Amino acid sequence: MFSDEEISVFLDELEEKIQVLNENILVLEREGGSQEALQEIFRAAHTIKGSSAVMGYDKMASLTHEIENLFDQMRKGLLPVSGPLVDTLFMALDTLQILRDEIIGKDVSVDIEQVVTSLKQFQGIGSPPSPGEAPESGRGPSKQPAGAIDDGIGEVEEDVIREAELKGLQAYWVTVQLDAGCQMKSVRAFLVFETLQQMGEVIKSQPPAEDIQEGNFETGFRVILLTGEDPDRVRNLLMTVSEVAKTEVNRIKLAAGQEVREQAASDAPAEKTEQAARADHEVKTVQTVRVDVQKLDTLMNLVGELVIDRTRLNRFAEIFEGRFGSGSGDMVETMNEISSHLGQVAGDLQEQIMKARMLPVAQVFNRFPRMVRDLAQKLNKEVDFIVEGHETELDRNVIEVIGDPLIHLIRNALDHGIEGPEERARLGKPRNGVLKLKASYMENHIIITIQDDGKGMDPVKLRAKAVEKGLINGEVAQRMSDQEALNLIFLPGFSTVAKVSDLSGRGVGMDIVRSHIEQINGITDVSSVPGVGTTFTIKLPLTLAIIRALMVELGNEQFAFPLTNVVETISVKAEEIKRVKHNEVILVRGRVLPLVRLSDIFERETCAEMDRLFVVVLGIGEKKVGVIVDKLLGELEIVIKSLGDYLGKVPCLSGATILGDGQVALIVDVRSLVKEIGVEEAVYAAS
Amino acid sequence: MAKGEKQIDSKEDQMVVFQLTEQTYGIDIDAVFEIIRMEAITRVPRTPHFVEGVINLRGKIIPVIDLCKRFNLPLAERTSSSRIIIVDVGGNTIGMIVDGVSEVLRVPLDSIEPPPPMIHGIDAAYLRGIAILDGRLVILLNLDKVLYEHEQSELQRFGVETA
Repeated sequence: MFSDEEISVFLDELEEKIQVLNENILVLEREGGSQEALQEIFRAAHTIKGSSAVMGYDKMASLTHEIENLFDQMRKGLLPVSGPLVDTLFMALDTLQILRDEIIGKDVSVDIEQVVTSLKQFQGIGSPPSPGEAPESGRGPSKQPAGAIDDGIGEVEEDVIREAELKGLQAYWVTVQLDAGCQMKSVRAFLVFETLQQMGEVIKSQPPAEDIQEGNFETGFRVILLTGEDPDRVRNLLMTVSEVAKTEVNRIKLAAGQEVREQAASDAPAEKTEQAARADHEVKTVQTVRVDVQKLDTLMNLVGELVIDRTRLNRFAEIFEGRFGSGSGDMVETMNEISSHLGQVAGDLQEQIMKARMLPVAQVFNRFPRMVRDLAQKLNKEVDFIVEGHETELDRNVIEVIGDPLIHLIRNALDHGIEGPEERARLGKPRNGVLKLKASYMENHIIITIQDDGKGMDPVKLRAKAVEKGLINGEVAQRMSDQEALNLIFLPGFSTVAKVSDLSGRGVGMDIVRSHIEQINGITDVSSVPGVGTTFTIKLPLTLAIIRALMVELGNEQFAFPLTNVVETISVKAEEIKRVKHNEVILVRGRVLPLVRLSDIFERETCAEMDRLFVVVLGIGEKKVGVIVDKLLGELEIVIKSLGDYLGKVPCLSGATILGDGQVALIVDVRSLVKEIGVEEAVYAAS
Repeated sequence: MAKGEKQIDSKEDQMVVFQLTEQTYGIDIDAVFEIIRMEAITRVPRTPHFVEGVINLRGKIIPVIDLCKRFNLPLAERTSSSRIIIVDVGGNTIGMIVDGVSEVLRVPLDSIEPPPPMIHGIDAAYLRGIAILDGRLVILLNLDKVLYEHEQSELQRFGVETA
């Protein structure tokens, strides 16, 4: 049957096409019968139908067949876009998704009959009975319906061609070349046949059709096509099939004196511009390959080795110069030149590989419009969902993590934020709520904001709620600023909605969101104005492998604090430090900050001066703690490396990095550090 | 290293021979990845006592242990002949500090004898055997045991106690 690899390519493509369908059906719903969207949809459905049929997934093929038929009618303007129709289409897509899950072995079973029936009901609306293979409305007077075609060959082709020519059809040799790296030759070939059969009749193929459909051919094959279509149109349509590298359509001229109409000379320029346009288009299409991330990681390590060798070369040049003196001047210079060029190339290489790991956030964002639509419908809310910055790129590891938190925030905004249309009307707001999801770059970070114009959050209510739930005491609540009160929503077990819905509000929400984001060195912030709306801002690093860090010195060793956790650095006099029970604290702008000495945590000797101390203020969520270090060395971009399985998880360390001089510096795991020193008790003790 | 010279011969093993506090030890050459000179080691706090720290081996962070500390032997001075033997055992690349590496020896299998219960303060559990070669006693280490047996538990214990 099919290899795992073929199936995985098929599944990837399927996923992609389902996404295309989702997006474009949303477009249809919004804008009515947009021809462009219909074309996209039709093409995607057609591809799924073809590939799934070849792969032997019959249910999927027959389902997409029905979908395709519907779209064909919509495309012809026979069937208007309507709410129920869109709902049915979405239902069909969900079924398709389930069928896909079935293939990857998830234990689900689905009955497609119901969906197919509802799809068929709509087909009844469009006037003519559903055309079997959705033929193009061609100019050819006699169109053979697709069916008994490529198997019946013989010595009679010439007769057939002559006969067809009498009917006004032309015969062409159609040569199709697939991409050399094509992984599903048989599927592509099937699609080519499908496409050809929409335009006419295939009466012969080389190699024989059976072989082609089995994939038993190099990269190309050719067929004789009888059609009334223009050869350019044939070629263009074939080029829309994925992984078709080249097609040629050549008129067959029979020897006997039939009138042979050459391509009129006047056609030529038009054809040329069209070709040129097509060439332009081809240039723009980005060629891609799928690469195992592991391979990229390996490449990255190799670059690391390159950098080290460059450093060695540098040192060697020095030694060389030292040993042979000025007589070696030229050679040393050349060596330095080579070394610096090597370094530059290695740096560029590193950057490019890093970029290769990046994916556009569209990967995640694309799922949301559909989700928002469904949710809004369920909640009887009217929402305009605006997405900006699809193209913003993030490391694939980051992309994998942000999906769930974003879903949660969007659900919250729809469920708790945006009011129902009637209420909005009463409040003098437009009936349609606006939910805006936006991604953008800011320096070395990506900022994702989720903004709604709903009812906002009231700090007074939040304080009361937190006290009621026993999360804080009344006194603390009173002293809180409004912003701090807003941040209460990130406390575990906090949920402002009395009624728990199945959408959100199980009280496990926001703290999980925040900790997910923190896992990838991100920061979550909230701002809200009662009656006006709420905005969540997520600040994420571009990549997980490289972070900006504050470098500090302790004894004669360097440590790195991820900058996302560093609130500020301050310098304090020894006498400012006060003791509360066993804890050292200082007052910073009137607030108590618990202190801890890095030398104590890491059991190191310190050479800090006693009268003036440097404190790095770290923040995890609302918890803050000051860490006393010997010296602040400044910010640095560092590559995170694991300490390896042998050492396993070392308390308070999250890894190590290699400094410019080849030395290793340890990276402090702020989360476990803050946890370990039990900031909470310290804070309570202090207040 | 003389890795390339390795010969498939079931009758003998090739051993990398090194010194540790005046004694000669051998480990199977297959486990040895490379041997490097001593370099600056970054100490890693809150790890077992025999973990010396980590080094940067061409861009990879490699843990380094001190074999003397591992066996609670008297610590020798680091000299210019001190080396770090990089071994690949149990899927991990680990560095071991030794006083010096002398040679690669072919050890006929029939010359390997079972270890006494305790030799030079090292428990027999960590030994593969002993061999007399050229009139010298070579203690053959069982690296799997040396690196993992007791360490795993100690490493884990550390993790649990202090996390």
